[in-house]
Amino acid sequence: MTMRTAPKASKSSNRQFNPTHLRRMVLEMAYAGSTVHIACAFSIIELVSVLYRNHLNYPGNNPSAEGRDYLVLSKGHGVMAQYACMYEMGWLNDSHIQGYFADGSELKGLSDSRVPGLEVTSGSLGHGFSVGVGIAKGLQLKSNDQKVYAITGDGELNEGTIWEGALFAAHHQMDNLMLIVDKNNFQAMGTTDDVLGMGDLSAKFRSFGFETLEVDGHDEAAIDLAIHQLWDTSVGKPKALIAHTVKGKGVPFMEADNRWHYTRLDAQTFADAINSLYPKGDCY
Amino acid sequence: MRDAFSKALVELAVADPKLLLLTGDHGYALFDEFRKRCPDQYINAGIAEQNMAGMAAGLARVSFRPFVYGLAAFVPIRTIEQIKLDIAHDDLPVVLIGDGAGFVYSHLGTSHQSTEDIACTRAIPGIKVLSPADRHEMAACLDYAYATQGPVYLRIGKSNCGDVHSVPIDTLQTGRLIKLRDGRSDRPGLIATGSMVRAATDIAQPRELTVWSAPFIKPLSVDDVRTAARSCSSLVTLEEHSVLNGLGAAVTEITSEHSPTQVLRIGVPDRFSEYCGTYDYLLFEHGIDIETVARRIDDFITAA
Repeated sequence: MTMRTAPKASKSSNRQFNPTHLRRMVLEMAYAGSTVHIACAFSIIELVSVLYRNHLNYPGNNPSAEGRDYLVLSKGHGVMAQYACMYEMGWLNDSHIQGYFADGSELKGLSDSRVPGLEVTSGSLGHGFSVGVGIAKGLQLKSNDQKVYAITGDGELNEGTIWEGALFAAHHQMDNLMLIVDKNNFQAMGTTDDVLGMGDLSAKFRSFGFETLEVDGHDEAAIDLAIHQLWDTSVGKPKALIAHTVKGKGVPFMEADNRWHYTRLDAQTFADAINSLYPKGDCY
Repeated sequence: MRDAFSKALVELAVADPKLLLLTGDHGYALFDEFRKRCPDQYINAGIAEQNMAGMAAGLARVSFRPFVYGLAAFVPIRTIEQIKLDIAHDDLPVVLIGDGAGFVYSHLGTSHQSTEDIACTRAIPGIKVLSPADRHEMAACLDYAYATQGPVYLRIGKSNCGDVHSVPIDTLQTGRLIKLRDGRSDRPGLIATGSMVRAATDIAQPRELTVWSAPFIKPLSVDDVRTAARSCSSLVTLEEHSVLNGLGAAVTEITSEHSPTQVLRIGVPDRFSEYCGTYDYLLFEHGIDIETVARRIDDFITAA
């Protein structure tokens, strides 16, 4: 296994897309809406933070700009992490956060492509990746330099369409496509090893014809470096970044506790979770 | 009819380089001309239909016009969730083409037969369902599908039943029935789709029955069905598809609300094929061969 680490880049201390702040926003949404899937969002916070801050290009800050890069959240269960970034982009406002799950509100509990900024409707797993492969194929046919990032869970890799799409992407030499696996080692009913072991993911994707790297999925500088390295390597090969993450990362009592796939916050756990984000009392 | 399909598709593709043909490794010989004339617009996605349908949504998102081809048993049936979630939910202009629908693959058994494809697609919001009867309807359906800014399912059944139209159709009108012959107002009128239209006209001729072809299963013109119901003593629907949630259901949904009429629904009973044999044998097994259908219609007339 190749773990990439690097010194913290100065950008990681920038408050924009600050992971603590993003996690706080997820907690506020989850509490306001009394929703589940908090832990699913927490494992991808640093991944989306780095993507939005350093990699995704939205001309004119327009989530629907024709020349944009595409972030396909195939694991729709993590959508609150993306909402938090979309808030920072200025595409969502306070009423979206505080009114999450109110009757008639547009932000759903899983990714819905009718919301500008979300590219696919997911939650039924294995769909977003195929759509992302199609988008990347279209961009390849247009011969432009837009990029497609698809974030899947590791449990989601149980789905056959992932591997159908991987075959296609490699066969068509789609080097504008990066699959990012949120390898938090859990799926709905248990650990991935217990439910349906996926084995060596890097070896699997390499054998499918992908260029692969593994990274600490909570180390922003390392993620940033790995993404750059993948784009810089192997013309003609799609990329796979295996991000080692912790489900529920950031709130100690949620970390690697799969109950937080399903558990809703009450006043006490909400306050405890917020406090745990600021161990030194430095409230954001 | 398949020649008309192939020819019309090539013409559309030559005129629009954004038109892409995706196939799940099906269409042997059918696409030779397409591959020759538009090689860069042809994508064989491999034997991976679900990924193919998802990719079609992605291609449509970046302004391509995907035509997704497969046997009806696979497109739409194997890909029904991708059609619902990835394509129809966002009203993407993807044309899904299900070939060999009904009992075309009469010797191959249930895996290749498709009598539930209309039922599954017509319940998905926003998708149009087309079922051409001959080469003229096929050409018009393909033009209509291409011009539609949303998802379309184009069902291709038995393709060599013979023409039902004597001349090409200029333009299909959304949802409209096409009257093929006038008959007696004191007898049932026949509304048929796809491969059953030719049988309907053959049965109608000696019995002086009115016949409409229904190239649209969805949407289906309420006015046209109401007019048909009022101009005949009753209605008979004919389709090489399950009697459940196909043309017969679409017609009776309208008549029951707007023009209560007795409707005899002739289609495939709620069962799988038991045996294999020729196409004609399979129609016979399911009671939709022309002799059985004619007898049922005669009984229906007599009982009225």
